[in-house]
Amino acid sequence: MQLNAKYGKDVAFVGISVDTNLDRLDKFVKEKAIPWAQLADGKAFDGPIPKLYRPNGTPTLFVLDRAGKIAAKLLSAEKIEETVQPLLSQP
Amino acid sequence: MGHRLFFASVFVGALLGTGQPTLAQTPPPDAAAAAAIAEIRQTIDTAWKEVQAYRTGGGKPGAADHPALKWHATLWTYREQHPGTAAAARATADAIRLLVRGEFWDEAHARIDTVGVDDPAWERLSAALYEEGSTRKDFAYTIATLSKVAATTTSPTNQAAVLLDIGRAQRRQGDVAAATKSFEAARSAAPGSVSSTEADGVLYEIAHLSLGLPAPTFSTKARNGKTVDLAALKGRAVVLVFWATT
Repeated sequence: MQLNAKYGKDVAFVGISVDTNLDRLDKFVKEKAIPWAQLADGKAFDGPIPKLYRPNGTPTLFVLDRAGKIAAKLLSAEKIEETVQPLLSQP
Repeated sequence: MGHRLFFASVFVGALLGTGQPTLAQTPPPDAAAAAAIAEIRQTIDTAWKEVQAYRTGGGKPGAADHPALKWHATLWTYREQHPGTAAAARATADAIRLLVRGEFWDEAHARIDTVGVDDPAWERLSAALYEEGSTRKDFAYTIATLSKVAATTTSPTNQAAVLLDIGRAQRRQGDVAAATKSFEAARSAAPGSVSSTEADGVLYEIAHLSLGLPAPTFSTKARNGKTVDLAALKGRAVVLVFWATT
């Protein structure tokens, strides 16, 4: 969330939730004031987007560069900043 | 024939005063096998928990007091007492996996040498050889041994399993072309098996999710009602966060 504020328009965060209880998800997103869009259909790992990206578990992060190419796959948010930062200096 | 059987059951049931067809009292053999598997899984669980606790407690691999040795012996005895059963296959695979985790390489190899190429243990054992290669950062033994099994086994599931781990080893060595061939062979060896399905997943990953490839696109409505079109985000870096509230 801090990262989202820091990079603003340079970085788009998209959440893809594998929750099956969507009410619970909506409530959580509201409570924590998570500002970015959440995609979820309640089908967990069988939903169309998880099927495209095949995460083995959560969290799984795919970092895409400005050209839309896969730059990194991370299994925690720990190294997200050092992964995203160099991408921003690319055209 | 179905009718006759039905009437016969009702007749017997009437004689017994239950009005219901009677069922055999001894469990069918597959139920007995399932019970044996459940039992051996419990033993295996306990073994791994002890090995984990030993590591967490600062225990060293290869040490004489390593719990892998004791549990390996227990499981191997089970194998010898229940030859040819599905439970014995599990016991065999985990006995050797424990030795590998404890880094008892010579002991593990000696055991591996005694497991025939058609032994169903290979379906789970194969991964232990991959683990050895990754731990030692040397896949020579892994690939040589698994290739021998792949070349000679008559069991499609064994073949799929060993080809999958040969592929993994080759991929770790950086030979994606060879790995892809192995994964393709694993996928077609035993369609529907765990290993073939996994090989299919890895092939998908290599083909669509390797670093540097264009990310698979999608356009869909978010919970807030707005449409997220990945292609429209070009020009910005994107972080796709797969997550769950729990």
